[in-house]
Amino acid sequence: MIGLLRQVENVASRVAMVANAVGTLVVLALVMVVNYDVVARGFFNKPFHGAVELVQFSMVLIVFLQLPDVVRVNRLTRSDGFLSVAGHGWPAVRKYLNKLINLVACIFMVLISVAIWPEFVEMFETRDYFGVPGVFTAPWWPIKLVIFVSAVLCSLLFALKFLLPDIEPDSGKSASGLTGSRSNVT
Amino acid sequence: MSPIEIGLLSVAAIVTLIYLGVYIPIALGVVSFVSIWLMRDNFDLAMNLLKIALSDSVMEYTFATVPLFTFMGIVVSKAGLGSDIYDVMNAGFRKIKGGIGMATVGANAVFAAVTGSSIASASVFATVAVPQMQRYEYNPRFAVGVVAGSSVLGMIIPPSAMLIIYSFVAEQSVGDMFLAGIVPGLMLAVAYIGAIAFAGRFFPNFVGGKPAEDYEPMSASTVAIKTLPLVFLILVVLGGIYTGWLSPVEAGAAGATVGLLIAFLRGRMTLKTFWQALIETGHITAAILFLITAASIYSRMLGLAALPNELGDIIASNQFSFAMIMVIYVCLMLFLGTLLDTASIILIVVPLFLPIIESMGLSPVWFGIVTVVGAEIGLLTPPLGISCFVIKSTLNDDRIKLKDVFLGALPFAFVMLLVLILLINFPSLSTGILR
Repeated sequence: MIGLLRQVENVASRVAMVANAVGTLVVLALVMVVNYDVVARGFFNKPFHGAVELVQFSMVLIVFLQLPDVVRVNRLTRSDGFLSVAGHGWPAVRKYLNKLINLVACIFMVLISVAIWPEFVEMFETRDYFGVPGVFTAPWWPIKLVIFVSAVLCSLLFALKFLLPDIEPDSGKSASGLTGSRSNVT
Repeated sequence: MSPIEIGLLSVAAIVTLIYLGVYIPIALGVVSFVSIWLMRDNFDLAMNLLKIALSDSVMEYTFATVPLFTFMGIVVSKAGLGSDIYDVMNAGFRKIKGGIGMATVGANAVFAAVTGSSIASASVFATVAVPQMQRYEYNPRFAVGVVAGSSVLGMIIPPSAMLIIYSFVAEQSVGDMFLAGIVPGLMLAVAYIGAIAFAGRFFPNFVGGKPAEDYEPMSASTVAIKTLPLVFLILVVLGGIYTGWLSPVEAGAAGATVGLLIAFLRGRMTLKTFWQALIETGHITAAILFLITAASIYSRMLGLAALPNELGDIIASNQFSFAMIMVIYVCLMLFLGTLLDTASIILIVVPLFLPIIESMGLSPVWFGIVTVVGAEIGLLTPPLGISCFVIKSTLNDDRIKLKDVFLGALPFAFVMLLVLILLINFPSLSTGILR
């Protein structure tokens, strides 16, 4: 059973890493799109219509393509002070509390998947789009699909963290001790 | 239970869950979801709000400032701009008692104008400034305290990730928030330098250090090479925003590109580090924006519970004075700051208090500066001051204990509190720069 789950974890981690790499390319694209617009507008007086919509589009892609990898390497924002204190005296408390936390996170991600799925179906059938017709338009359904797939993948990763015994994830970046799992934002 | 009771309980539940170690966005999202469901006794409504929050909140154009400024910050750190400006400042302050400390503060203030992150500042300056202060026999506590204390400048002097986050929750313009952060940030830097001079005069043992002998003056051309790229970058970013020529999003993109050019021209960036910087940017962006998404569900929940209105009524009926409200607010932030990171504090307290502040006719921009500075004090205070942890783990020196970092940072946290009181009393310090 554990062996099978490990295989699932392997596949899920691979998918998360690939999605992350694609999201990373979107970050690069974002930098280029905005710069192109600035230069075209500032120096050639030819603003790039649709830059705003492309930026909005890329924000969704960046966030939801990379979220599963953030979950995978344990970098979702949390404050693990209590957990590490508890871990010294009562390792069992830490272990089960951590499992419970991952279970709750999994349920929340499932709720998100369930909430967004009908939205995707509707947009896929109606072919609704956003943007200004004649200037720039893009269909809604890929956005909803990315959010849905991302939420499903996050649910799966949290479920695996709940089911499988703890091992250190092979984080792409060295998680720097205590701060690694805490917000790296600030 | 009435909606208000549910609302109050859920705020308490969120804080408790976060303290227990639940992922912050999950705690915000789950508790808000459940309380909306209970308040209206309607599961579908809760699902609907979840759906709207997810689809709408990330689609905001100005959210693009998060990845762009994050990327720029990472790139300029890798390009070595932080240690360059430190060298220059050091040459200037060298002969004064506590000079290296002052140089660290000054360099942090300038470097803060191109990064939005205290973590970046803390790790850069822990590696360059602390060893040098140790060489000149400074008190190790003072050395790490200076680095920790001045790292918070990164979050107050624009571009700053926290000012961006505040502008999202409070629906203020990112550009206005950036401009409003300039004077308070510089004030804090000057206050730190003043405090170091004061300590050097009256508590020389706390500062320590011996005069530098092997001192060679820095040539004008070296100074130029080390400062001009940074000055140019600051001109592009802050100048672009101030003149209105660039929107904050565009300034971020332009700044990232200029930073990249500098890094590549200096040979400080390879394709590998470039890719790592991009991945790091993506992780940080996804984490912050998911947090903001969850916080938007939370503020909808507060609205449904009418909690901010109720809080306003309580304040009105008890005739709390302005000073009283601010004391409560600052204490709340200091309390939360013991365990939460700055972004989470902002996202939790601002939706509760902003309606009250606005109904009192106070400026939301000013309130944002007060909030960011107040929440940042938590970065320096135990048990979980992140800046202190970063410095401890970057130094990797067994002689310096975490306790030393906290004790060294404490005087700086106190100076921050004094500056915060000034900022609260004189709103024009923050808002005066806005036209």
